[in-house]
Amino acid sequence: MKKQTITIGWLYPELMSIYGDRGNVICLQKRCELRDINVKVLLVGLQTTEKELASCDLLLMGGAQDSQQTIVSKDLVKKKKTLSSLIESGVPGVYICGAFQFLGKYYKEADGTIIDGLGIFDLYTENPGNNFPRLIGNMAFDASGLLGIEKAMVGFENHGGRTYLGMGVSPLGRVIKGFGNNGEDGTEGSVYKNSIGTYSHGPILPKNPEIADWLIQKALEKKYKQSIALSPLDDTISQKAKQAILQRILK
Amino acid sequence: MNTLLIFLGKLVMNISRLLGKGSGSTWPGHIALSVNPYFISELSKKNPHLKIILIAGTNGKTTTSKMIATVLEKNGKSVMQNKSGANLLNGVASSFVESANLFGKITKDAAVFEIDENTLPLVLEQTKPTVVIALNLFRDQLDRYGELDSIAKKWKKAFSFLSENTTLVLNADDPQVAFLGEKLHAKTVYFGLEEKGETASHLQHASDSIYCPNCHNRLEYKKIYYSHLGVWSCTFCKLKRPQITLVNTMYPLPGSYNKYNTLAAVLAVKQLGIPENLVQDAIATVTPAFGRQEKITINGKTVQIFLAKNPASFNQTIKTIADMHAKHVLFILNDRIPDGRDVSWIWDIDIEKFLPQFSSIFIAGDRVYDMELRVWYAGRNKDVYSFESLSDCFWNALENLPEKETLYILPTYSAMLDVRKVITGKKIL
Repeated sequence: MKKQTITIGWLYPELMSIYGDRGNVICLQKRCELRDINVKVLLVGLQTTEKELASCDLLLMGGAQDSQQTIVSKDLVKKKKTLSSLIESGVPGVYICGAFQFLGKYYKEADGTIIDGLGIFDLYTENPGNNFPRLIGNMAFDASGLLGIEKAMVGFENHGGRTYLGMGVSPLGRVIKGFGNNGEDGTEGSVYKNSIGTYSHGPILPKNPEIADWLIQKALEKKYKQSIALSPLDDTISQKAKQAILQRILK
Repeated sequence: MNTLLIFLGKLVMNISRLLGKGSGSTWPGHIALSVNPYFISELSKKNPHLKIILIAGTNGKTTTSKMIATVLEKNGKSVMQNKSGANLLNGVASSFVESANLFGKITKDAAVFEIDENTLPLVLEQTKPTVVIALNLFRDQLDRYGELDSIAKKWKKAFSFLSENTTLVLNADDPQVAFLGEKLHAKTVYFGLEEKGETASHLQHASDSIYCPNCHNRLEYKKIYYSHLGVWSCTFCKLKRPQITLVNTMYPLPGSYNKYNTLAAVLAVKQLGIPENLVQDAIATVTPAFGRQEKITINGKTVQIFLAKNPASFNQTIKTIADMHAKHVLFILNDRIPDGRDVSWIWDIDIEKFLPQFSSIFIAGDRVYDMELRVWYAGRNKDVYSFESLSDCFWNALENLPEKETLYILPTYSAMLDVRKVITGKKIL
């Protein structure tokens, strides 16, 4: 059988990668290589064409500082059509923190200014202002909305915005410890088609290989139009890392 | 009232020393400031002869402070300093408590203070410094400091109130720091490297400020020294790396990062009127600050500690020890408040190309398995030894170390204090 290949589109690695999000790329790459799946990583930036973007089988996008987020939002408007059709067609992806907010309908700043989002996910975000603390800390959540099982995932969140989900998306899971989308309704992240939005960096994939493998599987199934069963890998160290932080925060 | 505060503070200082507690460098100042929020401001006004030098920046504060203090002392000046790590307002106030007599008078010639990024604007409100150094701005502890841009904005505002009696010493190679020197009353001088650099294609992943601080377009780099430090310009608004005031000196410590520290220190002491040749003689005698390339001999073997606390510092450190042909390393990753509680940053470090040259890798710390996972994903799984107990880890690593080899220890901040305690049996802060 010919070797399988997937192209990972890493959106704005220079601009939107402030929380160690590169770890997600390293993780996906390694987990594919260990299974003899070829990986190409396309660095999607301001100069990337829509055609190149459309060739991606899996997408990743992280968070950023405010000024850099402004640069990205201008460029994303140009790529919106392509990105939107990829997501709608079921190309899997993970969108973290600022990227998660971008995909929603809008971001309302503390002074009432509304910044339009891409409107792909049915959700919106509000920043309540400096009198409300940022939501920061280690977090645990189940990814029941994604995997159908209540298994604990771990990450670290750091966001000022509070995100509220509409009817068109389901949560990624329930918060076990931490704040999640808004610190009120107990939801964390969201799932739409095969795309995941989340506040969990840490980065999310190395310590939660279940989610990494779900993304790889969906990417291969979509590309090769067949059901795929990935061979298991030795995840002893990531399980130890996860258990160590769970034991500490669930005490 | 300050008399009472100084008296009380000195009492607390002595008691905590007697008890061997490490809190003597912050508590006296904490008490003084909670009773009199203007304590620092009043004492500095009372001592107009005291030349105050403030050192800020993500990396290199402690080493630069030590260099400045060394040069001043070698040239017959008496110096007061805050303790390394005690770089918030309470640490500065404690230093005043320690050096002042009961009437608030200080006989020292100069005060050399390293200042935390968020605290710098507060200290500038309360003092009239002779020199302020901004070394660099790298991503560090986002959970505590917030984003780089917001720190740069706060600094820019604080600098705009400085008078022409203050000289700002700025890193020309760091775009965001260099930009702080625009449109000020204060005098500005710049340091930067003039040597072979990498081409722009070698930009490290953990490069923070590669967009123009003025117009937000992508900067062009003629040369890159490391991270986002280099010879930069903006082709859109024409902002560019400023003219360098000081490009060369002698360098007492290895590593590019120490070249920057040395340039900043030399430029600072020149502002205080110390002649060039005397500066050079004194700078040559500088030895590492504790935990920063500090060598310790134990059981006839050598260990050397290289603080590695954020992506820029880790990248520079691992490159420096690789150049020193390191074979045995110990990584210690903690996630306490002084380290930053978020350990995501280890995925921004470039370790892949260095790991193959190490014949053994020991790992410990609060987040030992996170670090082990990072190393595993970097493709290394042989001769990696992780321990939940730092003490077990250290003694095993030492046992494993062949005679005449050096164990290179790369700890985060609190891990550096911990491992020094394991090695020396004493607590230092």
